[in-house]
Amino acid sequence: MTAMKHNPPRFGRLATMAVAGVATIALLAGCSGGGGTDSADGVTTVDFWGWVPGLEDLVTQYNDSHDDIEVTFHRMTGDDGQKVEAAVDAGAGPDLVQLSTHNLPDYVISGRVQDITEYVSDEESKYTPASWASVSLDGKVYGLPQGIGPSGTMYRTDILAQYGIEVPTTWDEYVEAARALHAANPDVYIANMSPSEIGQWAQEIQQAESSWYGIDGDSWSVGLNDEGSQLVAERWQTLLDEGLVTTEQMWTPEYWALVNAGKIATITYAAWFPSQLAENAADTAGKWAVTDMPTNAGSENSGDSGGAAVVVLKGAKDVEAAAEVAAWMNGADEVQDALITVGGLFPSTETGLASDALLSKQPFFGDQVINEVFIDSAANTPATWVDGPNYGTAQTAITDEFAKVINGDQTFLEALDKAQDATVADLKSRGLNVK
Amino acid sequence: MSAPSISRSARRRSSGTGGSWTPYLFVAPFVVLFAVFLVAPIIIAIVNSLFSEKSSGLGFGGSEVLFVGLDNFVRALSDSDFIAGFGRVLLFGVVQVPVMLVIAVILALLFDSGLVKGTRFFQFAVFLPYAVPGVIAALLWGFLYQPSVSPIIQGLSSIGVDVNLLSPGTVLWSIANIATWSTVGINMIILFSALQALPREMYEAAKLDGAGQIRIALSIKLPMIAPALLLTTISSIIGTLQLFNEPQVLKTVTSNIASDFTPNMAIFAASTLGKDTHLSSAMAIILGLVTLLISLVVLRTTNRSSKKKVSDGE
Repeated sequence: MTAMKHNPPRFGRLATMAVAGVATIALLAGCSGGGGTDSADGVTTVDFWGWVPGLEDLVTQYNDSHDDIEVTFHRMTGDDGQKVEAAVDAGAGPDLVQLSTHNLPDYVISGRVQDITEYVSDEESKYTPASWASVSLDGKVYGLPQGIGPSGTMYRTDILAQYGIEVPTTWDEYVEAARALHAANPDVYIANMSPSEIGQWAQEIQQAESSWYGIDGDSWSVGLNDEGSQLVAERWQTLLDEGLVTTEQMWTPEYWALVNAGKIATITYAAWFPSQLAENAADTAGKWAVTDMPTNAGSENSGDSGGAAVVVLKGAKDVEAAAEVAAWMNGADEVQDALITVGGLFPSTETGLASDALLSKQPFFGDQVINEVFIDSAANTPATWVDGPNYGTAQTAITDEFAKVINGDQTFLEALDKAQDATVADLKSRGLNVK
Repeated sequence: MSAPSISRSARRRSSGTGGSWTPYLFVAPFVVLFAVFLVAPIIIAIVNSLFSEKSSGLGFGGSEVLFVGLDNFVRALSDSDFIAGFGRVLLFGVVQVPVMLVIAVILALLFDSGLVKGTRFFQFAVFLPYAVPGVIAALLWGFLYQPSVSPIIQGLSSIGVDVNLLSPGTVLWSIANIATWSTVGINMIILFSALQALPREMYEAAKLDGAGQIRIALSIKLPMIAPALLLTTISSIIGTLQLFNEPQVLKTVTSNIASDFTPNMAIFAASTLGKDTHLSSAMAIILGLVTLLISLVVLRTTNRSSKKKVSDGE
């Protein structure tokens, strides 16, 4: 102030500085901001973050038909999933969020999700038992299932026919087919083994009736290198050692180039993968078909790479309203077709599984009704998989170690042992009981 | 070079007017931002690193944050992959920093010598990559490193040279290439402006004594811009230790970059994938201390050697 009086020309600079200061404060203030709020007119606002295509339309549909609750929606992209925890801790998280069921135990242990058992327990009959189990921990329900990932095998009908190879129905036949195919044409491989694609690994672990985690009384058990995992490891070690698979990282341009060039004859993955394949390998339309995932000896089991759930986060102002919205978004009869056709989800509800929308012909797969395969797969998936704490650490440990396997520095079995040790050590460092 | 004279005259002017508030108002925006975005996070990280979140049993009973002393530091230092990350960036720095600085010095000397026509255009061209955000640069190069989409690799392959720029042995140097491409420009500009500030008369004197351009560059220009060289060296070393953008982006196209490839990536993985902010705080402090230590060692050795030179000269 004194400077201003004595030295008028400085006013300009001072003003600039003051503006800069105010802007800074505004910037800081802009960093905060809350989740759902109860507005004065009795309408409860529920803030929802999700990634499934078409959720915007469902939110509009909900708001049009409900007067007491107003849902606001934020589409999650990029690494939004990693921001949720920080947002919750900062009190700026949404009321409802969509997350992978693999991550649910972490959210429960850290207290970032709310127990909604009392509001949603009568919804249980709408969902498949396996998907309901995936949102239930320690006898409480923490969310509503939103889609599952039963596995099937997509294969190039033209390539297998060209080299006279039968579609393999067991993993033993699969390895034989891999050898025959590669012998017939050294440029063609039965599959790609991506060291980073944990879902493809997990589906075969589940098929072998194993699980990374288990609950034994008051302790977690960790089984990254258990019997089932060893079985899967030996299979892929054989395919890798004999040079029968490519080893590109999935989802890269390099990977799609291999697929488009017809160098990969089969891809075994979840029910949501076919639409990805159709989008990224459009030129191969009509050359693919889907069949059951190859089975292990003496078993009819299929696998599943995991699903998603919608959960009510800590900090939600009105838990009951949020739970009600989540129940509608996933379980209401009127949303099932949209979730299947627009959302591309494989349903976790009984009505969804019975929906005609699921049974549409797919032109990319030569007009095959591919979901018949995935419906069977869902019915044949053993309910042995248990999600546990710190899935992220286990997943990172596996993918980092698998990269070394692909480079020939170690075997899958050695990689699994290392990942097992890292995961157990991590759980112990958190004070959890581990057997 | 001219900085001290400016600040001296400014000080004289302000003491003359006697407005005791003014200087504080002027530094306030900096001090506030410095305190909020630098000092506070450091203090929070230090406090965080001394605690750990502990559950019991299955963990469903909730968790509590306990004081664990230096436990997190012991865990971080006993993680061989975290330590290996330091080794990797040091190897990277030992090669990349000198290579990049030599290129920057040569370019700066060329532009300063007046031998190059169209200096402004070429300076702009060299500087432009620095204006490309690091993540975008890594994305661009990522495409050039993938055989199926890379004109470079396809071109080499058509003349019978097969290269894999993303293999375990080459990927570190592919990252170094991106870092060099991105940072040569800014370092060239710093060195070039230092060169431009040098008095031209000296070159004439040297020419009269029979020195050629190369002799002038090596014996006059380089010793005179030593402070600028030191600045660029230290900031490059710090940048190396904090290597993150390039490998993190390339990780999406190759599995030969592990989640803990560099110390900064290991910190990121511990906090976001491992969800342990306490451990990652300890790791971040270790990285900060190592950076400080290396910077001090570089400063010390260069100060000592330059002092020695001065005293030798006298």
